[in-house]
Amino acid sequence: MRTFLTGVLLAAALLAPATAVVAQNGPLRIEITDGVIEPLPYAVPSFIADTASASELSTQIARVIASDLSGTGLFREIPASAHISKVTDFDAQVQYADWKAVNAQALITGAVSVNGNRLTVRFRGYDVFADKELDGGGLQFTGTTDGWRRMAHKVADTIYSRITGEGGYFDSRVVYVSENGPKNDRRKRLAIMDYDGANVQFLTNSASIVLAPRFSPTGDRVLYTSYESGFPQIHVMDIGKVQRRVLSTDDGIMSFAPRFSPDGRTVVFSQSQGGNTDLFTMDINSGKLTRLTSAPSIETAPSFSPDGSQIVFESDRSGSQQLYVMAVTGGEARRISHGKGRYGTPVWSPRGDLLAFTKQNKGRFHIGVMRTDGSEERLLTASFLDEGPTWSPNGRVIMFTRETQGANGRSLLYSVDISGRNLKPVRTPDGGSDPAWSPLQN
Amino acid sequence: MQVGTKISLAAHAGLMGWVVFGAWFPSEPLPFQVQEVTMISSAEFALLSQQHQAPEIAEEPAALPVPEEEPPAPAVEPQVDPEPEIVEPEPIEPPAPDPEVTERPEPEPAPLPVPPAPEAPTLPDLTPDLPQVVEPQVAQPADRVAPTPIAPPAPDTTIDEVVQPEIAPDEGAETEQEVQEATAPEAASDRIVTEAEEQDDPVTAAPTQSLRPKTRPRRPTPPVETATPIEPVEQPVEETNDAVADAVAEAIAGGADVIAPEPSGPPLTSGEKDALRVSVSNCWNVGSLSTEALGTTVVVGVSLSQDGKPDAGTIRMLSSTGGSSTAAKQAFEAARRAIIRCGAKGFQLPPEKYGQWRDIEMTFNPERMRIK
Repeated sequence: MRTFLTGVLLAAALLAPATAVVAQNGPLRIEITDGVIEPLPYAVPSFIADTASASELSTQIARVIASDLSGTGLFREIPASAHISKVTDFDAQVQYADWKAVNAQALITGAVSVNGNRLTVRFRGYDVFADKELDGGGLQFTGTTDGWRRMAHKVADTIYSRITGEGGYFDSRVVYVSENGPKNDRRKRLAIMDYDGANVQFLTNSASIVLAPRFSPTGDRVLYTSYESGFPQIHVMDIGKVQRRVLSTDDGIMSFAPRFSPDGRTVVFSQSQGGNTDLFTMDINSGKLTRLTSAPSIETAPSFSPDGSQIVFESDRSGSQQLYVMAVTGGEARRISHGKGRYGTPVWSPRGDLLAFTKQNKGRFHIGVMRTDGSEERLLTASFLDEGPTWSPNGRVIMFTRETQGANGRSLLYSVDISGRNLKPVRTPDGGSDPAWSPLQN
Repeated sequence: MQVGTKISLAAHAGLMGWVVFGAWFPSEPLPFQVQEVTMISSAEFALLSQQHQAPEIAEEPAALPVPEEEPPAPAVEPQVDPEPEIVEPEPIEPPAPDPEVTERPEPEPAPLPVPPAPEAPTLPDLTPDLPQVVEPQVAQPADRVAPTPIAPPAPDTTIDEVVQPEIAPDEGAETEQEVQEATAPEAASDRIVTEAEEQDDPVTAAPTQSLRPKTRPRRPTPPVETATPIEPVEQPVEETNDAVADAVAEAIAGGADVIAPEPSGPPLTSGEKDALRVSVSNCWNVGSLSTEALGTTVVVGVSLSQDGKPDAGTIRMLSSTGGSSTAAKQAFEAARRAIIRCGAKGFQLPPEKYGQWRDIEMTFNPERMRIK
């Protein structure tokens, strides 16, 4: 009987629902794969004026820093009216709780002193929610009062780089074609400005048409095409001295669309002879020409890869305008654009992984990006006329020309993040076209 | 045999008999109602919820006139069985379509219904010939990109995670009423919408998503002659703990050998884990990360207090994959901000299971965010 009862109990135990819990080993583990993409809130109170003469500059510098950071679309400034803490001492302990309360995730403080025309800017960046200073976020820049905007840009570059992990682009310049007047009588001249449209200077007069300026890798020279002699010729200008010379000397031969090689020693460009346009390279010092293509089609708009080993260009050899890549020494080219429409003006990203281009399809123009093998094409803009993209030094932003429709249409400069966000016009005193972004200034 | 044993034996025998024979004579199951349901994902539900304005389609199309005599055959050839006797209708002028429908620039999402003509002779069913136009699911552009799209709140609504209606006191009310401000989450799209996608036709050859590019190779930083490092401000000792340095030091010192207390109590349900995951996701902002950091997965360890609040000093990077140490640092800092911000009021976790969630390892994998 005892055996029978034991069996019954065992059977009952086996039939009972399994309530035993498998023990968890180690800490709880979860995986986060979905986040949000939104501007990071930050605060930049007016910098402290260490000297009475620095009062105005201390405010202006903070405003330029805020304009730089917020202008990227990656950051959002917490307005001063919402600040709880007032920063009155550059070396005082930051009240993190006050900044957390207004959801400022980054904080930038600074102090400015002026001695004669010497300007000193000290600043620190803070990770508010980590209750600590950003690594490498505290620096001091010294310069002249005339260059206060550049110093503000450098501060913004440092903070941007520290938070995002990639280089900044604020301390850079843009050369472009300034345009004035109606479409049928438009006056064009070369101009150079800070990346944000400040400090515009004109490099040429409007006596002749100028086109497609391009910076040298060091940012001290500019190539451009001028009709000064009646037909297009390539000029090179020393920006510091505003001195120029003609690069191609063969009279009667049209040369255009020049661009520097990454080492600055070679120029690639298009030359039109007998109705045929091909690509050539020229050694700047010796003037030696090398033919890269000899097809009966039109090859133009060449651009070097950052390592200088390849060239991307546009050609109509297939019957429609498409993008091709070939070795810098010439030879067989590989077509990389295969979508609908026509592709042109390709530019290699400074990072080397993307190409920006202009696309025309269904009566509209687009600025787009694609991988260097033509894959993963993504159109960023759409309008009546968008063209001529140029990359920011960090490869994050593209500036281009947008022309509006109609007889009174204007040509303006626009910029857009490579994600397609933050599309906005660039402030210029007149109209503008053909922008070319410089490398970061030293 | 004792009486108790007999009683027990009889009871067990009865029980087993009921178990064995009861199944042979099952009673009729009680009637119950069955409701068919369809499972949809949360994204589909959100899309359905966003369709506030259904396309206007005339509910009753203009009735066709009853034919009085045999007109010539219509141009459309019938595709249905021609066996039924068809009385040819009068020449039908093109049916006066609803102007709201035909003048609409966008194509209609659904085929037009077949005009019912009960009194008229059977007309060929034109439905299969109508183009099947599918409404493109174009995301609305928004400054914020979140896992679930959120419609823009009313203009006067305060942005907050919680949705609550506005409560204004009634005029003339005798009792004092509490005033409540209307709040709603910020408008969000589930992906980045470019200008080209916003304006483009629904059918385009261009892909709508692409991987973000990798960061360009680092180059030597040019020396800035005028830049001088500034000594950091004196911080309290507990505030200067660099979690990254701690993690590195811990790894060097063989931190993996440290014996953590074993979790105790019942494990968290999948729902409780999902709630924690969603809570952290809402604060994980990758918008300001470099493309390289967006390709870096970091595993972050954190200890929580019993009220669900993270101990900031315990947040540390346990490991990283896919990027440089610089990228891992940016990715870790974004993860740390997410944990601290959304845990400031304490994560909603069951207190009785504290032993299970006291120590958490969170893997932040941004792979899906790169193609937004």
